[in-house]
Amino acid sequence: MSLSAHQLSVGYHGHTIVKKMDLTLPDGRFIALLGPNGCGKSTLLKCFARILPAMSGEVNWQGQNLHHYPSKQLAKALALLPQTQPIPEGIKVKDLVAYGRSPYTGFWGKLSTQDHQIVEQMMQQTGTYELRDQLVSELSGGQRQRVWLAMVLAQDTPYLLLDEPTTYMDINHQVELMHQLQALNKQGKTIITVLHDINQAARYCDHLVVMKAGELKYQGSPEEVLTSAMLKDVFSLSAQIHQDPVSGTPMCVVED
Amino acid sequence: MSHLFRSVSLGLFLCLGLLLISWWNLFAWSVVPVSGADVLHAFTSFNDQSIAHRIVLDLRLPRLLTALLVGACLASAGTIMQGLTRNPLAAPSVLGVNAGAALGMALVSTLPFLYGALSTSIAAMLGGGVAWLLVMLLGSAWRVGANEHGRLVLAGVAISALCAALTKAVVIMEEDQAAGVMTWLAGSLADARWQKWQTFWPVASISLIGALGLAPSLNVLQLGEDNARNLGINLLRSKLFGSLLVLMLVGAAISAVGSIGFVGLIVPHIARLMFGQDFRLCLPVAMIIGALLVTLADTLSRAVTYPMETPAGAILALIGAPFFIYLVRKRTL
Repeated sequence: MSLSAHQLSVGYHGHTIVKKMDLTLPDGRFIALLGPNGCGKSTLLKCFARILPAMSGEVNWQGQNLHHYPSKQLAKALALLPQTQPIPEGIKVKDLVAYGRSPYTGFWGKLSTQDHQIVEQMMQQTGTYELRDQLVSELSGGQRQRVWLAMVLAQDTPYLLLDEPTTYMDINHQVELMHQLQALNKQGKTIITVLHDINQAARYCDHLVVMKAGELKYQGSPEEVLTSAMLKDVFSLSAQIHQDPVSGTPMCVVED
Repeated sequence: MSHLFRSVSLGLFLCLGLLLISWWNLFAWSVVPVSGADVLHAFTSFNDQSIAHRIVLDLRLPRLLTALLVGACLASAGTIMQGLTRNPLAAPSVLGVNAGAALGMALVSTLPFLYGALSTSIAAMLGGGVAWLLVMLLGSAWRVGANEHGRLVLAGVAISALCAALTKAVVIMEEDQAAGVMTWLAGSLADARWQKWQTFWPVASISLIGALGLAPSLNVLQLGEDNARNLGINLLRSKLFGSLLVLMLVGAAISAVGSIGFVGLIVPHIARLMFGQDFRLCLPVAMIIGALLVTLADTLSRAVTYPMETPAGAILALIGAPFFIYLVRKRTL
């Protein structure tokens, strides 16, 4: 059932970024993709979301190559929140969130009562309901990020792929988002997110995947993966691992 | 609620305007006097002996219907092009489709070995298609970024100029056909007759219905290609279908009345200004405004140099060129 990469190479303009990767992402988990800048996390995520084609190898879902599925069917299975989003002109928040329902809409993009309910529910969940009649272009970066998140959630997919979703967000909204994602994960969604903050990943996610220079280096539970040796190897960083006093999860503290 | 009220009243206002201008078009500036009442009587109690009635039904009505449909075709072609490329300056006349179609038609109607080999509308579509493809390749339009808008327009200008030069060369080589081709290049509705209408309306109507079907995908495409793909839009299929529709719409319009520019550029902006970004709303509205604008231009084309006729395309260029400059200055290219 799960999403997996087989000998997968991905890149841009003939330049390979992800190199012959074999990776199986376990279903029903809250997975963080970690690694230094330029290691290919975003590129890998884009290929899983079929935005970028594989140069060689393949991404499989339910035992079949992802690119063999019809676009609409995939849009009901996988949703991606890209790292940078365009600023659409003249579109209201509620209309943008409603576009999340496009894979389900009937004739001529007509929304059903159920579609309207889901759109409203997602706006409430992301704290954007009060903004619903405002233009997306007039919001702040953090607000806009939450509106895009609401759109992706409205897509109501079993897999949710997020590329650094906490960027542009205040710390309270970051924490709120991580709690939300945890709750969605408890409801059965598989969540795969690129994160920069390692401690945030170790605290909220239950499966970490660490990449370096386009290759898979470590994967497993936060306790298995977050070690001094890994930080030294992947980030060339000397750090101590302590236990988070609140959650009991591992936490790294950088040495001088 | 007030938003809905505004949209409905604007829509009714437009339909009423369209009806009035159509009525005016049927009787205004006729060499043989025709009155507004004659127009109504021609429909309600047609008299075979009345010259005015015959003019209305045999000459004016096909001309009016052609103007309406040509306007709708060109306006929706422009709306689709702006939606597909997410470029506010995209329009058939700007991106070389008009000039290419003109060249295609000039080639089949003047060169002896091509004469009769292709119908003029097919030639117009082929010519327009080739020109547009070249513009898209030169302007790398399928990868849209803010600073590539200018590049696409420049490619359009270059290809249009090339096509225009080739068209002129062809016309000069075949002098006896020149007058006909020149009138046609300027875009005039003076020759619209029932006979032409019969081949024009089926293609135009099918394409217009197809255009409406594309509206939901165009909406999602405005969120950018990554989001559109994520939301289940088959990009390749939408773009191919959209391009084919544009070529059918423009090809049908151009083979019916010749090269009329600027409708496709101006009208989508007016429609968006009045009704917002939703293509399901602004596409049908663009059709109505386009029909209105071309009919108005056709009516004025008889007035400017009465009793002679000025091509409607020239009238539209007079309105359109300043608008184009306004758009270029408003949006930093």
